Amino acid sequence: MATPADVLQDSDARRAGGAAGAVTLTLRIRRFNPEISQDSWWDEFTVEADPLDRLVEVLHQVKWYHDGTLSFRRSCAHGICGSDAMLINGRNALACKVLVDDVGPRVTIEPIRGLAVLKDLIVDMDPFLEGYRTVLPFLINDSGEPDKERLQSAEERARFDDTTKCILCAACTTSCPIFWGDEGYIGPAAIVNAHRFIFDSRDEGSRERLKILSEKTGVFRCRTTFNCTDACPRGIQVTKAIQEVKRSILFDRF
Amino acid sequence: MATTHTYDALVIGAGGAGMRAAIELSDQVRTAVISKLYPTRSHTGAAQGGVCAALGNTEEDHAEWHAFDTVKGGDYLTDQPAAQLMAEEAIDAIYQLERWGLPFNRTPDGRIDQRRFGGHTAEHGERPVRRACYAADRTGHMILQTLYQQCVKRDVRFFNEFYCLDLLRDAHGAATGVVAYELATGELHIFRAKSIVFATGGYGRMFSVTSNAHALTGDGPAVAWRRGVPLEDMEMFQFHPTGLAKLGVLLSEAARGEGGIVRNKDGERFMERYAPTIKDLAPRDMVSRAIYQEIKEGRGGGPNGDWAYLDITHLDPKVIEEKLPDITEFARVYLKVEPTNELVPIQPTAHYAMGGIPTDVDGRVVEGAAETPIPGLYAAGECACVSVHGANRLGTNSLLDLVVFGRRAGVDAARHVKEAPLGDVPERPTERTLSMLNAVLERAEGENAADIRKELQANMFDLAFVVRSEESLSKMETIIGELQERFGRVAISDKGALYNTDLMETVELGFLLDCAQALVVSARARTESRGGHYRDDHPLRDDANWLKHTLASRNDDGSISLDFKPVKMGPYVPMERKY
Amino acid sequence: MATTIERSTTSGDGAPRPPRDYTRGSERPVGGFELWMWLFMRISGIVLLVLALGHTLIMHLPSGGVDRVDFGFVATRWASPFWRSWDWMLLTLALIHGINGLRNITLDYVRKPGTRFAANMVFYVLGFTLFVLGTIIVVTFDPSNWPPVA
Repeated sequence: MATPADVLQDSDARRAGGAAGAVTLTLRIRRFNPEISQDSWWDEFTVEADPLDRLVEVLHQVKWYHDGTLSFRRSCAHGICGSDAMLINGRNALACKVLVDDVGPRVTIEPIRGLAVLKDLIVDMDPFLEGYRTVLPFLINDSGEPDKERLQSAEERARFDDTTKCILCAACTTSCPIFWGDEGYIGPAAIVNAHRFIFDSRDEGSRERLKILSEKTGVFRCRTTFNCTDACPRGIQVTKAIQEVKRSILFDRF
Repeated sequence: MATTHTYDALVIGAGGAGMRAAIELSDQVRTAVISKLYPTRSHTGAAQGGVCAALGNTEEDHAEWHAFDTVKGGDYLTDQPAAQLMAEEAIDAIYQLERWGLPFNRTPDGRIDQRRFGGHTAEHGERPVRRACYAADRTGHMILQTLYQQCVKRDVRFFNEFYCLDLLRDAHGAATGVVAYELATGELHIFRAKSIVFATGGYGRMFSVTSNAHALTGDGPAVAWRRGVPLEDMEMFQFHPTGLAKLGVLLSEAARGEGGIVRNKDGERFMERYAPTIKDLAPRDMVSRAIYQEIKEGRGGGPNGDWAYLDITHLDPKVIEEKLPDITEFARVYLKVEPTNELVPIQPTAHYAMGGIPTDVDGRVVEGAAETPIPGLYAAGECACVSVHGANRLGTNSLLDLVVFGRRAGVDAARHVKEAPLGDVPERPTERTLSMLNAVLERAEGENAADIRKELQANMFDLAFVVRSEESLSKMETIIGELQERFGRVAISDKGALYNTDLMETVELGFLLDCAQALVVSARARTESRGGHYRDDHPLRDDANWLKHTLASRNDDGSISLDFKPVKMGPYVPMERKY
Repeated sequence: MATTIERSTTSGDGAPRPPRDYTRGSERPVGGFELWMWLFMRISGIVLLVLALGHTLIMHLPSGGVDRVDFGFVATRWASPFWRSWDWMLLTLALIHGINGLRNITLDYVRKPGTRFAANMVFYVLGFTLFVLGTIIVVTFDPSNWPPVA
């Protein structure tokens, strides 16, 4: 029977073997700097990296040792803060959750779509946050505050658990073809955050939110393309949440 | 020409403490929040374990027991009245969060559920107690989101991606404004206010292995330091034992709480030798030192022999998926390790700064042993030192610190706004900042900031980490001096005005160097071991001489002065820290 | 250079605001035009499945296929009110379903409000015209009076 030490030997050997050679990675990055030109351009960089390196750290390598003008947002570097959503090999992802190993010897990196590019991989998040704000994303309950906590059962808590995970990274909204066409569409993220409150038993503001969501810029623009669910780095069932909101509106009206 | 904005109150930093203060302030006075990130990117969101309060929802608990645990957990460097206050206010702080919508996990009868956590006990250490309130394993994320939602509700004025680079003080020393750099345009802004609350977080990025975000570069403490404000207990830094090897990403203490075991390369459960009774649930600093010892004696794993392993293979897979989903994901994604049947490589990781800007219990920044308040200046959260965590912080006490002292700072800052006049800013307020920035921008060739940063991080990891000594610390002090000198010759390639992250990273490195200097000088001065500060040349705790806080400050000529102030005692007499 | 107002994410000036009442709108019903159209698309879609597929099958499948569709065929069919209703329903539902679909596509892809308005107006006019023509035919068709004398 394998002892812990044996198990260790195996996994260490595998990891050491995999990381024994650094790999060569070529990054093709879409650049933009209005101080230089109104058109974007492509830059290529070739670096040596460990297969288990996060792409965000490879970008740091490029910035620190190849081209200091490369600008991108990042903070926690482990998939929690949502700063570094980018288009990586044509799909939205967080750069800190993608490893060199996942993207092979060549990777193409672009800013997320649908939001104005300000510089390189940095986009204007304000329309995205505006959409978020319009759905009244805060608990609405004016029927008197209890001394202690409001009671909520485990089932009631589980009802909206999925949509509490949203980190506002914008990967879903910027992968939505409707949003690409019209940034006035509030987008999947706003709807997810509305869902989080509509299905929270302690909230009393569903009516107001559902009215906002029934407008032309609201849920009915969703064509169930499913790009959002694919893109979400937190694994939230976005399209499902949007569908539940549509049904809420339907059942409220009839 | 810099734009001047005038508000009643400013909050610098939009994490848990900052937003809690902003909520309190914006209900009463004209407030603006300045943050170098968008608020929901703040590192409060990465906290996992929980936030504690003696609610007594699942078993009997009292605030007094919580206060005792905090004091003992802090290895008796904690200011006891502050710990007592925090434990008492914890209860309403949690209820307030719930009333604002925080989705806590629930007990079967619908109340906020609580679980056990390291260091939290009943009857002063007799048995573990369920005091940690939690929202799945995303408590920090939920607190951050809930506070941001309340800020959105109040339409709080945010200045996002504005870096606070300097503090402005008037002729009497009162804080009257800050200078901030707008990342989007490269322009400087002057913000004037009657009350300024610093809530900028920690400085773990001075170490190569850290759980901290890249943004945590000690901006608040460094800005205050450069304007003569002393920094308290800088040597006290917490090294969390279970960070993912090489990466430093945190694997929550909850893993050990659920039964996880730490092993060396021989597969041995070595904590049996270091803490025979509670083994792997010993306080964080004890486990980190044990790992360090094992590595030193040649029983570390990995290609460089500097790893230990976290073993959760014996836990029920259902428990792992339900209660430890995040750490499971981290291991799978970042190390390609399957925790259900493989051991996860770990290393102690630089996690939390117990020290920082000294404040009283109302968040007012105080100077010197006499604790003279600086009018108009406040601090809360990890960047502040009340001191409520002493020499070692208990898990779940940090999220609590944010909401309790964030609120208190907001309350007192609002009071100050109503009582005080708007102070003057000095003539040419942006002069120092401009010369700092232009010096870097105008240099054609010079040092690479990334190299300096790497050397700082690697050396701090070698010389000022879990185990320190006079030799290692004095070597580190010399290295910091050399790095600072080289820093004065840094050149960058981005000379633009838009989103010049190259420039800002360089400025942040300067802040880190200052904080590292304060840390190392304070660590050298403290000739004892206490909590997270362990020296193998002074391995024991010395209560006779060292029941006091260190206060480091930088003089105008660049030299560092050290002062001390006694720990505020209370009902708890320092005992040996056994668990 | 962009002013700071554009860069920040709030419209407030930082001053304290009195609490708002978020339940004031609850008397008006939720939903509205968009909800109706969303529901209509789904229900009419199912109905059209039957009507349109049925229509196609009837025209193409029986022996002879579309070659047997001549004046006599139509006259025989439209002697029954059932088939007239079927065809009128097919006309109406398909037009509304189709025009609304075009309205949605326009909403998704045409940015300028003026162009959108123009496109929608073209669709509505076209749709209405086809509806009127079709309705007239289905309702007034009389095989013994063809072509109808003005």
